[in-house]
Amino acid sequence: MDPKLKYSLLLKETWGDRLTVETSVAPNELYLTLDPRFVGSLVEICSTLVKSFRAHFVTLVPVDERSTKRSLSVLYIFSVAHDDLFLILSVPVDPRNMELPSISTHVESANWFEREMKDWFGIIAFPNIYRLASHPDWPEDVHPMLKDFKADQKVPRVRGDFEFKRVEGEGIFEIPVGPVHAGIIEPGHFRFSVAGEPIINLEAQLFYTHKATEKIGEGLTPERTVFLAERISGDTSFGHALAFCHAIERMSAIEIPERALVSRTILLELERLYNHIGDIGAIMLDVGYGVGASMASHLKEQLLQSNEILTGSRLLRGMAAIGGIRRNIEDTPSKRQTLHDVSRNQRKSFENLVEIAMSSSSTLDRLETTGQLTHKEAFRLGVIGLAGRASGIDRDLRRDHPHCSYRQLRFKPALHNEGDVLARFNVRIDEVRHSFELLEQLEDLLSEGPTRATHGPIPSGGFALGYAEAWRGEVVHWVMTDGSGKITRWKITDPSFHNWKGVTVAARNNIIPDFPVINKSFNLSYSGNDR
Amino acid sequence: MNDIITNALLLILQLGVTVLMAPFIFGIIKKTKARIQNRRGPSIFQPYADLTKLLKKEVVISENASWLFSFTPYLLIASTLVIVILVPTVFAPLPFHWIGDIITVAYLLALGRFFLALAGLDTASGFGGLGSSREMSIASIVEPAMMLSIFAVAVTAGSTNLSIVVRSLSTTPASIFNPSHLLAFVALFIVTIAETGRIPVDNPETHLELTMIHEAMILEYSGRYLAFIEWASQMKMVIFLSLLANLFFPIGLATVLSPAALGVSIVAFVAKMTLLAIGIALVESTNAKLRLFRVPDLLMTAFILSLLSLILYFIVGA
Repeated sequence: MDPKLKYSLLLKETWGDRLTVETSVAPNELYLTLDPRFVGSLVEICSTLVKSFRAHFVTLVPVDERSTKRSLSVLYIFSVAHDDLFLILSVPVDPRNMELPSISTHVESANWFEREMKDWFGIIAFPNIYRLASHPDWPEDVHPMLKDFKADQKVPRVRGDFEFKRVEGEGIFEIPVGPVHAGIIEPGHFRFSVAGEPIINLEAQLFYTHKATEKIGEGLTPERTVFLAERISGDTSFGHALAFCHAIERMSAIEIPERALVSRTILLELERLYNHIGDIGAIMLDVGYGVGASMASHLKEQLLQSNEILTGSRLLRGMAAIGGIRRNIEDTPSKRQTLHDVSRNQRKSFENLVEIAMSSSSTLDRLETTGQLTHKEAFRLGVIGLAGRASGIDRDLRRDHPHCSYRQLRFKPALHNEGDVLARFNVRIDEVRHSFELLEQLEDLLSEGPTRATHGPIPSGGFALGYAEAWRGEVVHWVMTDGSGKITRWKITDPSFHNWKGVTVAARNNIIPDFPVINKSFNLSYSGNDR
Repeated sequence: MNDIITNALLLILQLGVTVLMAPFIFGIIKKTKARIQNRRGPSIFQPYADLTKLLKKEVVISENASWLFSFTPYLLIASTLVIVILVPTVFAPLPFHWIGDIITVAYLLALGRFFLALAGLDTASGFGGLGSSREMSIASIVEPAMMLSIFAVAVTAGSTNLSIVVRSLSTTPASIFNPSHLLAFVALFIVTIAETGRIPVDNPETHLELTMIHEAMILEYSGRYLAFIEWASQMKMVIFLSLLANLFFPIGLATVLSPAALGVSIVAFVAKMTLLAIGIALVESTNAKLRLFRVPDLLMTAFILSLLSLILYFIVGA
């Protein structure tokens, strides 16, 4: 049976007329609207979706629709992996009473999403009332994502200071670190409570790099927004831009040419390769194993140079476009040769690197059992992507919700269960090997034809999800257009937003000098998290 | 009169060799590590340029710092220079060898460390305290291992005065290659790595404050003060390497005053130091940094080795 029909019947059966089921243009999205009179059953519905339907909480999208519907709505997006379906539960919110029950008591991965919603939209998910995204010097009653707040509006700063959970007791000290760090990394403040060296508690204060990307996108044409999407997180330039393009293409039912699909898949894998290899080196550098680190950075540099030959950009920028790709990546013999070199020669260098890493027992000793995130904790917090797969969370959009050419490719997601730094190291090694294999398979799939579909105007009032399994994990965008086909709401979800809680939990009970390598093994984006 | 001039010249030679050679040893270590990593690496004379640059730079001092903060670099350089007078490099016995023996050296090292740890705490930055507490806990295990390993050699010579030990060893070369000395050498090598903050105990090249030991203590220092501290730690490296070289392989060391003997001695000394520096670089390249709580295990190994070496000496009488 068609999954959409199956779930419509199932949901009708369970909740009757509390839910209105609507279908959408996009093939695997099922929209459910909750009758506002039954908002009390929101928690029950969400927890049933997660527990009985084995749905995975993906993201939460508040939308200010006061101009068209005289209400706001909040979309709770779940993915049902075994049926390749997204269940999108829409709950209307009365602007006079901006309150909803919090689902994070049952679906803990929604916690940060609810707190961010309160800061940016003023919708309180009671009792989850703590601030997350806006810093204490920002007035409590100014909600920048509401439509009546202009993006260039100046806001008077108020007095306020960060509040951290305090651990008290004899011999407990607090160590503040950041937001400015040594080395070239992004800003974030960490507050450690330590008893000597062991970390009792770690609190992270992020959102120093908030750039209001979602807000700036409102009112832009989708074509221009692609460039903005490339700048959400520099290391996931292509992944984010691709997820955004997917959303627009799905809402306008644009058919992507085969050749473009294959090229997009190649680019996504190239992005995975250079980031994973860079991280493998960075992890070795953090434990002081310079030989392995410099070997990895040499390999990463070669991959970046290949990227430049193929696309003109080391970070694969300017390639994603609505309807396909902007430039051809395999039309000249030198480009084809480069692609071939990556999947054959770089693979050999990578195996040497793995041998160097695995033969250093002192390095492995540092990685093993460090920063353990158990499967139970990872599941509870909703940790996803490569960090999730290192803790036994078997979820990979390339298999669960196949996009690009992944349906035609043979591959099995990497999976480790230990959840320590070594497991995240090993997941990267496995995924790099898979990427090389995928690139080899993709070379055979290359065919002649157009690399970009011509398409008509973007529909007005359209909405859809766009997603891609980028190197760090699933990147999910939800886009809605206004009457003239311009963006009116754009929700960006970077895997970092799901995983930061995982870092703070994994750091507990480790010693302070091991924190940098734990943090590096997750290598989360601050920019993608803060947007 | 002649004696005074000779002694003064010897003193200048002794100080000059250590003070001038110290940055060079660091340059060798850096260059070797870079070559092993397939990098070109900076010139071996780069540490001289770094020190010159730092000496010219302005000193920035935290408003919360007390006199301790500006006093420590001077104390550190002074105590290090006194140690230099006591540890033979190219000639033994040194002119002022009677002012102190190995125990004096250990205490002078402890004095510098004590003030450095205080200065780390002085600015009340989170990292300084972290570094100070780590440095002191490691020092408490390093010191006994260092004393014991040198004692193992000292018993052979029947004195704790370094100049006398070195001279007596260089005149009886047979005693160099005995198992007791070999164990003590390994122990002192581990101690050297720990005392000078190299991998696997500490990582001098990291930018991660949370993992630092020595570097965390001196994070707040800048300009001239930082130059003094860096220079002092480079000299500390030379001091330990010359202990390793001259206590265990005093070959070529000048014991009589003649231009020929001194010339041979200087060449031999530079060669031995370069070899040892390359050895340190090799250890650093083949190992990752140890987990902080594993460092005591390594240092206990050094302690046990030197203890075994002493026992071996008394049992075998070697």
